[in-house]
Amino acid sequence: MRTADALAGGFPDLSGMRLARQAHRQRWLAVAAILVVLAAIGRAFANGQIEWSYVSRFLTAKVILEGIVNTMVMALLAMALGIVLGVVVAVMRLSPNPVLKSVAAGYTWLFRGTPLILQLLLWFNLALIFPTIGIPGLWSARAVDVMTPFLSALLGLGINQGAYTSEVMRAGMLSVDVGQYEAAQAIGMGRLQALRRIILPQAMRVVIPPLGNEFIGMVKATSLASVIQYPELLHNAENIYYANSRVIELLIVAGLWYLLVVSILTPLQMLLERRFARGSQQIAR
Amino acid sequence: MTRLSFSVGFAALLGFTTAQAAELPETIKQAGVLRLTVNSTYAPMEYRDPATNELVGLDIDLANEIAKRLGVKIVWSETPFAELIPSLQTKRADFIISGISDRSSRRESADFVDYLTTGPQFFVLTENEAKAAIDLCGKKVGTTRSTSFPVEIEKWSKQNCEASSKPAVQYVPGENSIDVRNQLKQGRIDAAVQGSETLPYAQSQEAGKYRVVGEPFSTGYQGIMFRKDDAALREVVTQHLAAMIADGSYKAVLDKYGLGANAVPQPLMNAATQ
Repeated sequence: MRTADALAGGFPDLSGMRLARQAHRQRWLAVAAILVVLAAIGRAFANGQIEWSYVSRFLTAKVILEGIVNTMVMALLAMALGIVLGVVVAVMRLSPNPVLKSVAAGYTWLFRGTPLILQLLLWFNLALIFPTIGIPGLWSARAVDVMTPFLSALLGLGINQGAYTSEVMRAGMLSVDVGQYEAAQAIGMGRLQALRRIILPQAMRVVIPPLGNEFIGMVKATSLASVIQYPELLHNAENIYYANSRVIELLIVAGLWYLLVVSILTPLQMLLERRFARGSQQIAR
Repeated sequence: MTRLSFSVGFAALLGFTTAQAAELPETIKQAGVLRLTVNSTYAPMEYRDPATNELVGLDIDLANEIAKRLGVKIVWSETPFAELIPSLQTKRADFIISGISDRSSRRESADFVDYLTTGPQFFVLTENEAKAAIDLCGKKVGTTRSTSFPVEIEKWSKQNCEASSKPAVQYVPGENSIDVRNQLKQGRIDAAVQGSETLPYAQSQEAGKYRVVGEPFSTGYQGIMFRKDDAALREVVTQHLAAMIADGSYKAVLDKYGLGANAVPQPLMNAATQ
């Protein structure tokens, strides 16, 4: 026993004592309360006016599966269009040329300033303004034949997305240290070459998380295209419940699919982040 | 007393007692308020007056008259057409009077008191070549996708086009009647379908723009929808509607919208055959 040593300092020796375990009473209480609430919600849904057999029957119905394919095709294409536009507009925005700069700012202002659903309806009904569209002397067609629900949705979603993506891209480019621009200039690179080789690759690391965010938003925004008759997931689920009146059941079916898609996309985004962070593992971690 | 005469007598007695007993459910009487939900995109049945943004229309006038006789006020709310039935089921609405057709498929969850004859009607832009409905075989025909019209078009096409080995009608979905007429104007569709009761109004709004093709291709009724378990409310509304038909106030409302020809002789319960 070394009690004597300890007491010499005027304090009791606690080194031999066991640590008392904390009771965590509040923690257990909180867990219990949450479990009760979850159980109540679960029970309410199980006993609610939901015909679960309809949910399982329509979960893999052909129309629903076609809807999810159309949703994903539209989300990918519109996002691709949005990213291309976003990069171009961001580069224009950071250009020293005042014309390019103000056109880029005007684009962002216009397409970020009006609701997406309004833009979709405008594209879809473009033929009310221009019955025929084309290139004078070369080619022309009826606007309704060009502006199919697919193209209207792609242009509406993609161009709107471009306005948001341009800001993400601009943030990415601004995040690259100004010394990098100067170094590129010092070894004789032009502005665009420096952007392509030095700036954008480094900006990618920063823009991937917000772009992933935007893409997940896009997957769900495609549902707005249901009002212009693009046969995506929600549109097709609605068509079924217009016929059989099983509103909640079909909305659950669509909701489950959206959740599944987003659940798959989240780890994909992490893989992408890791790839673009190869040069700077420290920070990425 | 024979069995038949007994049951007739019993039915008469029953009819008599329910006629006496029909009274407004206590909750509505207490609140003094009827909560009604409409889809206001279906002029002239229910729409927002462009000048005043007031909710107006044939259904609105009928409902107001019924409410006046019941001595209650109406609190209106609006919803997309497809959400009308859920609104009734979730009791957001006490009953639905919103240009909705009585159809057997909808009677699973509700009872209809039919108050107006209706039928799907083909129409085209005036300059279109189609003279008779049969000319529309193989053509693109649009209608509101949340209604019963897509099914009726398909059925008509089977019976008329495919039966005489003509190409089937190509159905093109639209979001509501205004959207459908927009697609007609843009040439995305060749013809459109709406309830016959809405076409005189559409034609009056855009004079000379549209031409109806043929007659309504099936006959049905528009009905006031009640929850199955809400017989008391259904009874009392039916009685007042019958009284309105008898004293001419019903006819006056219909005439105001040029739809006197769509009148029913008396309120009918779940009378549509479709």
